[in-house]
Amino acid sequence: MRDRAMGDGAMGDGAMRPGLPRRRFLAGLGALAGTAALAACADTAPGAPAPSGTPAGPPPPTTTTAAAPAYTGEAALLALGAAVSGLAGDVLGQAAAGAGQGRYGAVPAVVSSFLSGAAAQHVAHAEAWNRLLAAGGRPEVSGSPLTAAPAVRERLDAALAPVDLLGLAADLTGTVAATVTALTGELTEAGAIALAAGVAPVAAMHGATAGFLLGRPPTAPADPTAGALGTDALTV
Amino acid sequence: MTAPAPADVPILQTASSLVVLTADTYTSLRALPYGGGATALAPVRDLLVAAVDALDRARADLADATRAAGGRVQTEPDPRYAPVVEQALPTVRGPGDVVGLALTLEDVLAQTLVADVVDLSAPGVRRTVAGHAAASAQRKALLLTLQTLLSTGRAELAAVPPDLLALPPAAGTVGFPDVLFPTEKASPATEGAVR
Repeated sequence: MRDRAMGDGAMGDGAMRPGLPRRRFLAGLGALAGTAALAACADTAPGAPAPSGTPAGPPPPTTTTAAAPAYTGEAALLALGAAVSGLAGDVLGQAAAGAGQGRYGAVPAVVSSFLSGAAAQHVAHAEAWNRLLAAGGRPEVSGSPLTAAPAVRERLDAALAPVDLLGLAADLTGTVAATVTALTGELTEAGAIALAAGVAPVAAMHGATAGFLLGRPPTAPADPTAGALGTDALTV
Repeated sequence: MTAPAPADVPILQTASSLVVLTADTYTSLRALPYGGGATALAPVRDLLVAAVDALDRARADLADATRAAGGRVQTEPDPRYAPVVEQALPTVRGPGDVVGLALTLEDVLAQTLVADVVDLSAPGVRRTVAGHAAASAQRKALLLTLQTLLSTGRAELAAVPPDLLALPPAAGTVGFPDVLFPTEKASPATEGAVR
């Protein structure tokens, strides 16, 4: 086949980038295997005890104040990545499970396989974000602590048919892609940037597949970060 | 905002050269009857139209970033792949060939842009390039899906909207084969640099 000949020949195996940048990318991929370290998010964990030998300060205030955010700086960005990927993994996984239980009528096999496959990748992404948090001494994000989560779950609860599931998947994966694309410009650590760089296109591929199954024409938004969630969407 | 550094220039030029080549190739494919003409499959035709628009934006954004980094804008196609495309175009005989050629180029482009996100120094440019990488990945997903459907010998499966009950289950996942987008095929940063 002509294009196969191209793929196997000069166009098939592009040269790997030499030197540090390539290693930096692999460091990001290492997050999937739990081997990456992220120094930048090694700021003090919430509730951490004062170092020994620290002079006694004034007594703690007894009045009730708002809890400090659990994540700040780079860690908040990683937590956002974990939360949005976790939300997508959980909701799409629930959609797949519900489809298997007949909750949405007769669901075509192609839709079920899409939901299951996309959910698994989002779960893997959430785990990778969490490994970066853990490597920096920060608590992993549990669940999907986002202000947007209740509305997404309500939409899943209201779904009646496969087309509703695909529409939800298209919108949710679009939010993930936009959010993680925006993170590439906010993160500072090479390993975290590499993870975002590898995750955002995959989330976009989920959206493209959902769009195709829905019969929507392919589009590329002029602003690929439109609809992105910020760290202010975190509820932890 | 942090301005792009001079070290970013070859990266941006190489990305531009691949965008130029891919856009030019899509334009050529659109001129074919089974690319953008009367006998073209609807999803193939729609993809080519959307791709040209998106790549025009990518070309403009990369040019702006190149200038901001103090470099000359690359307007020529990638020198490694241009001869290959030139050789392949006359051999395109049907929608499967259109999809195959587009997929080969789109994969190299997307992988290069993803690698660029890691290598670029300016956060704003990283974000912009990441957006174009995501757009390229979307096209790759659709092309992978179409390639799978066309390989069944039932071109009617590649319809808008598709008959969901007729689609093979694999069509739901073939568009996203990797948990993280690969970069093994990324072009070296100097490949398309202005000399």
